[in-house]
Amino acid sequence: MDFPSRAGAVRAIDDVAFTVGRQETLGLVGESGSGKTLSSLAVLRLVPPPARIVAGRIVFEGQDLLTLNSAQMAALRGRRIAMVFQNPAYSLNPILSIGAQLTEILAWHEKLPRRAAHDHIAELLRLVGITDAPARLRQFPHELSGGMKQRICIARALLCHPALLLADEPTTNLDVTIQAQILDLLQQLKDRFATSMILVTHDMGVVARMADRISVMYAGTVCETGNAATLLRSPLHPYTRALLESMPRADRSYQTVRSLPVIPGRIPSLADPPAGCRFHPRCPEAEADCRKLRPMPVTLGSGHVVSCLKRGSQGVLA
Amino acid sequence: MSGVPAGQIAVPTARRRLPRGPGNLRQGWDRLRRNRTGFLGLCLVTLVVLIAILAPMIAPYAPNDQSAMLHFGAQAPPSAAHWFGTDRSGYDVLTRTLYGAPTALLVGLGAMLIAAVIGVTVGALAGYLGGFADELLMRATEFFLVIPVFIVILAVVRLFGVVVIGTPLEGLPFLKLDAIIVLLGLFGWPPLARLARAEFLRLKQAEFVEAARCIGARRRDIVFRHILPNALPSLVVVTALGIGSAILAEAMISFLGFGDPKTISWGQSLYFNYQVLRVAPWAVLAPGMAIFLTVLGFNLLADGLSDAFNPRLKQ
Repeated sequence: MDFPSRAGAVRAIDDVAFTVGRQETLGLVGESGSGKTLSSLAVLRLVPPPARIVAGRIVFEGQDLLTLNSAQMAALRGRRIAMVFQNPAYSLNPILSIGAQLTEILAWHEKLPRRAAHDHIAELLRLVGITDAPARLRQFPHELSGGMKQRICIARALLCHPALLLADEPTTNLDVTIQAQILDLLQQLKDRFATSMILVTHDMGVVARMADRISVMYAGTVCETGNAATLLRSPLHPYTRALLESMPRADRSYQTVRSLPVIPGRIPSLADPPAGCRFHPRCPEAEADCRKLRPMPVTLGSGHVVSCLKRGSQGVLA
Repeated sequence: MSGVPAGQIAVPTARRRLPRGPGNLRQGWDRLRRNRTGFLGLCLVTLVVLIAILAPMIAPYAPNDQSAMLHFGAQAPPSAAHWFGTDRSGYDVLTRTLYGAPTALLVGLGAMLIAAVIGVTVGALAGYLGGFADELLMRATEFFLVIPVFIVILAVVRLFGVVVIGTPLEGLPFLKLDAIIVLLGLFGWPPLARLARAEFLRLKQAEFVEAARCIGARRRDIVFRHILPNALPSLVVVTALGIGSAILAEAMISFLGFGDPKTISWGQSLYFNYQVLRVAPWAVLAPGMAIFLTVLGFNLLADGLSDAFNPRLKQ
């Protein structure tokens, strides 16, 4: 997939390319505002207006999604590509019962008879670890806990056995124990339904645990993509290195809070991104060229792609 | 809502948690009943509705019975035969006041029904579509907002009476009252449109709406299943307030002598009798109180509803 996009005059994500193989989990990491969520919404062609996708291709099962009309696209959403959101508290309609919200999807996408739909939902609820489905289905979102709501959201996303699941920070708003449960659940269900997954997160721990491959995003571009194990063990891009350095680790001792390494500076404004490599103002290895030339992705080793002039990228004037 | 036996719903006294938690409507209802002002409003409105329905049965006289003239005379003070006395034309005041209730409700509900349909449609389109449509519809709304409604209504009602002569419309019962209702509706929608627009603007960006879109909801489902029902509580509150003011507006129009002479309305009773206020205050007092209590009832109800549906007061 490849989709540069543009929000108004601001190019929010640019030159973002990633692929997800069948049954693979791609972790999309980066700090806030780096375009992770926007990239995943773009896959569904639901970038929030006035943003729009100006150019690029989103290829899903051999089809460029950007060429589909809106009815075809709507038929795809929730059926072949589904999404789980960051905040389960807000992603369910507060005034519809859980049952109503789950049945509506089946009503839209598959013309299942009521009885069969009901059984199907009950089965999925069981799979996401919700017991007593009939009672739950009659409840309203505000009667459920956060973890429970997220389970419902996951069930809702998987109801039509999608080929691709987009999970946008699915555990950020949950506490740590529930977080672990939900991650386990996602992993199990992904295997069971043979679903591919794009996992958007800023949590390196989550990514290390879940992802087969990782794409690191910085300021609206992908700076490094690679096999999860390789990338985490030997990151190439200076940003990825800095990001991993700044993670608190149990096997290191820190004298004070301050001695935890941080990345100096702040993420650049997308309205006025730095020329050349977008990371150069904060990069410890930046040289004169980095200020002028924009690095093109280069493949090193098996599928390890990095965009950095210091790692052998071609530079183009941009 | 289905599948729960009726007995289970009516268990407010038992403090035990129900196996199935109450829905939002039910919760709102519970809060409304616990809210004193709201409950009072509800009682007043229910009373008026009951009177409107039962008027022909409970009224002691026929509405156009002027036989009191024979024994008691016009402007007779309250007595056992005429509890609220008789008015200037020899009508029984109690009877006329009871028969005024259906008129008032018809005006209030009819006008607000028209206003709600127009207002919610305009506001929803403006808020949901945004951009140029929003701009256009909101400027139109403001145009309606700045028109001096009363003068327009008075003029139109007067003209209308002349214009329809000779057309099929002439045969319509209570023609002038119908005109007043339609006009009040046609000019009463801007506040609803503004509110509906605000609600649609807010809700179309709500995460659950976004989520619904992501799982394949079409525009129709988004609007009618996800946005509109969530906007409804605040719209209902403003509509309830509007009913009160529509009733008041009709009373004012009638009081100015522009009402429908064929109907029995409180405003009209005031109009016919205010000149004898010193001699027969009861003839004015009864319809006046009726207007006051009805409008108060709708306002209190609106107040109670806004509290009852406010999610921040949930516990």
